[in-house]
Amino acid sequence: MDMEIESLLRPPESHMPPYPAKVITVATGKKMVVRQVDRKAVPTLLKAVLPTLQIPRDYYDIVGVRLYAELLGWYRYRVRDHYCLIGQVDGYLMGIVNGRMYTPEVGMSYHTLAIERGLTVGVHLFAAKMEHHLEFLDQNEVWITAESPIGFRRWMIEYGLVPKTDAQHELGGASFYVLTKELWKANKARLCVGDRPCPEDLLAAAEAEIKLPSEEEVREKILGAKRRQAK
Amino acid sequence: MRKVAILGVGMIPFGRRDDDNLMDLLSAASLKALDDAGFNDRPLDALYVGNMAAGILNHQSSVASALADSLNLLPAAADSVENGPASGGSALKNGILAVASGYYDWVLVVGGEKMTGVIGPKATDTVATMTHPQAEYIYGATLPSLAGMFARLYMKKYGITPRHLAKVAIKNHRNGLLNPYAHIHTKITLEGILTSPQAVVNNPIVSDPLRLYDCCPVSDGAAAVLLCPADKVKEFKKPEVLVAGFGQATDTQTLAERDDPTDLKAVSIAAQKAFQMAKLTPKDIHVAELHDAFTILEIAESEHAGFFKKGEGAKALDAGVTEIGGGLPINPSGGLKARGHPLGATGVAQVVELVWQLREEAGERQVKGAERGFSLNFGGFGNNVVAFVLRREA
Amino acid sequence: MNGLAAFKCKKCGRIHHPKHARCLTCRGREFEIIHPEGTARLLTFTDACSLPWGIDERCRTLGVVEFENKLKAMGLLRVAHPKLGMKLKASWEPVRIIGGEEAYGLTLEAA
Repeated sequence: MDMEIESLLRPPESHMPPYPAKVITVATGKKMVVRQVDRKAVPTLLKAVLPTLQIPRDYYDIVGVRLYAELLGWYRYRVRDHYCLIGQVDGYLMGIVNGRMYTPEVGMSYHTLAIERGLTVGVHLFAAKMEHHLEFLDQNEVWITAESPIGFRRWMIEYGLVPKTDAQHELGGASFYVLTKELWKANKARLCVGDRPCPEDLLAAAEAEIKLPSEEEVREKILGAKRRQAK
Repeated sequence: MRKVAILGVGMIPFGRRDDDNLMDLLSAASLKALDDAGFNDRPLDALYVGNMAAGILNHQSSVASALADSLNLLPAAADSVENGPASGGSALKNGILAVASGYYDWVLVVGGEKMTGVIGPKATDTVATMTHPQAEYIYGATLPSLAGMFARLYMKKYGITPRHLAKVAIKNHRNGLLNPYAHIHTKITLEGILTSPQAVVNNPIVSDPLRLYDCCPVSDGAAAVLLCPADKVKEFKKPEVLVAGFGQATDTQTLAERDDPTDLKAVSIAAQKAFQMAKLTPKDIHVAELHDAFTILEIAESEHAGFFKKGEGAKALDAGVTEIGGGLPINPSGGLKARGHPLGATGVAQVVELVWQLREEAGERQVKGAERGFSLNFGGFGNNVVAFVLRREA
Repeated sequence: MNGLAAFKCKKCGRIHHPKHARCLTCRGREFEIIHPEGTARLLTFTDACSLPWGIDERCRTLGVVEFENKLKAMGLLRVAHPKLGMKLKASWEPVRIIGGEEAYGLTLEAA
């Protein structure tokens, strides 16, 4: 690689305090570790995201293809001040969320992808990234948009977000909404949970390997098990 | 009236079935019931189809006529039956009466619903059309909100706690794991849905005091039953499972107009009528499938149907009486909570489960020695209820 | 509070809301129109957070109340911390948009 040209193409990086891992007991009683990952995790995460590109149901294809691009862009040093958090149970990937610092004061929420459905994984991970922006990155507000009606109800209505019309979210032309620190403080107790510090053994196991379901299993988790399609 | 037997049963796994439309679901379950009976290609006399919302959710009407065509049951009589979530139960009742009257011999009853093609709030709104348009619907009343208002009073009156509700959900999820036809195959724990600090997010309020895990899922699915006169069963070398009794009753449409909003009168009357016809009592029942669209309803229905005194249902739950190995297993299938609730399918699916239990074909969830079963299909919010008592003869 | 119409059976006096073709007690067919009188008492309520399509609120509190003239009805509560038995005063306001039109109903605040 010609590092002289590469240095022109790479965005500068700001200091971003890390997200301290936490553990959440999910409905099954199992423990989900929510932690930040670095670029090294991206090739693994891309394998989990790839099958979603073929699933139009619930806008998984749109979310998946954009998340794929964001993660790949981050991996190849083409996205500025990006972070990625994941949830794992027994090492298995449950979901991915990402975003970036748009400015030191403003966070840009990107995507929330739940691989395991039915356990409010997306709800937990979205809250984790809001926590990251507003508490650990210490930003003032987060800009959020939704690509699906489910997302709209889960974020805009559930959080009571404030609509913003005088700017453009990086993800496209639809209206977007803002989560302010005040709104976050008022609603955090019912939306964001988890215990810190994450027990060392759980964290070590999660960090050791991101276990992935197979492509077929990802499709089954999102669409419903194959046996249900059989007559 | 002639004695009516259930000759064949069939259902398809409930859940999100993206590749299937409503006709696919209904046809598949129908063929399973016909094959189960060994009926082959014999002509049927009549078809009854229980379905609530095809007109709204699937933009399709005259479902029974369409199914008669799809299955080539022509020129059999065919009727669609709509009674909200008790559409299946009502369709079955009509089919039973048709055979009992002597007018028809071979009657297929199918219940089904295709619900997951629309987003959740649209499905919620569709179900809410059962509420009164001017007195309830305009406020945004939904079935969960009616259940929430009922639960608040019932829990206060009889000392039922959120822990009791969670235990119903946990029991039924556990049973669902044993049922290959169940929509939900997820074990849940008290810690996960109630006692941990994370439960507030894992198990959010739907309509308080009811939470996510107090409510059944939105499902696709279908179930079918082939009925015949009892004296024709021997020809097919199948176990003789009889419809020993059935009952149906109505109550006020709005919750506000009930004299006592905690009194599920229609449940009590429908159950009494079914037992009376069967010449049996609740004590004679070995297994029950109740309509736990909301966890509070399993407890309330178990009391109103006469299995336990008012206020004792939760104690029975605590004592393990309603577990598969207990004195009166309730919802060994996983109930609506885990098996799922495709609206029109449920009443028929409950009876399919009872037939499997009485034939000893229920696999890992088999209730040992079950010879008499009871099912309850709860329409609206308890304003139209259908109950059945089944008995194994041979 | 004339917005909400209830129907009192002329034969036995039972009060109905909504309208019925025949009385729920005596099956009489003639009714006089009455309206809620006095304050309302809260009989039951719920904080409904899984609202149907067309209502873009996170939650809304619904309740069933009984007025001093024994008229019972559902309404939309505008009360921060409802309690069973509490006294409420009723208004008649838009409660939902249906088919692009405002639908009017009972709204209830602490008395």
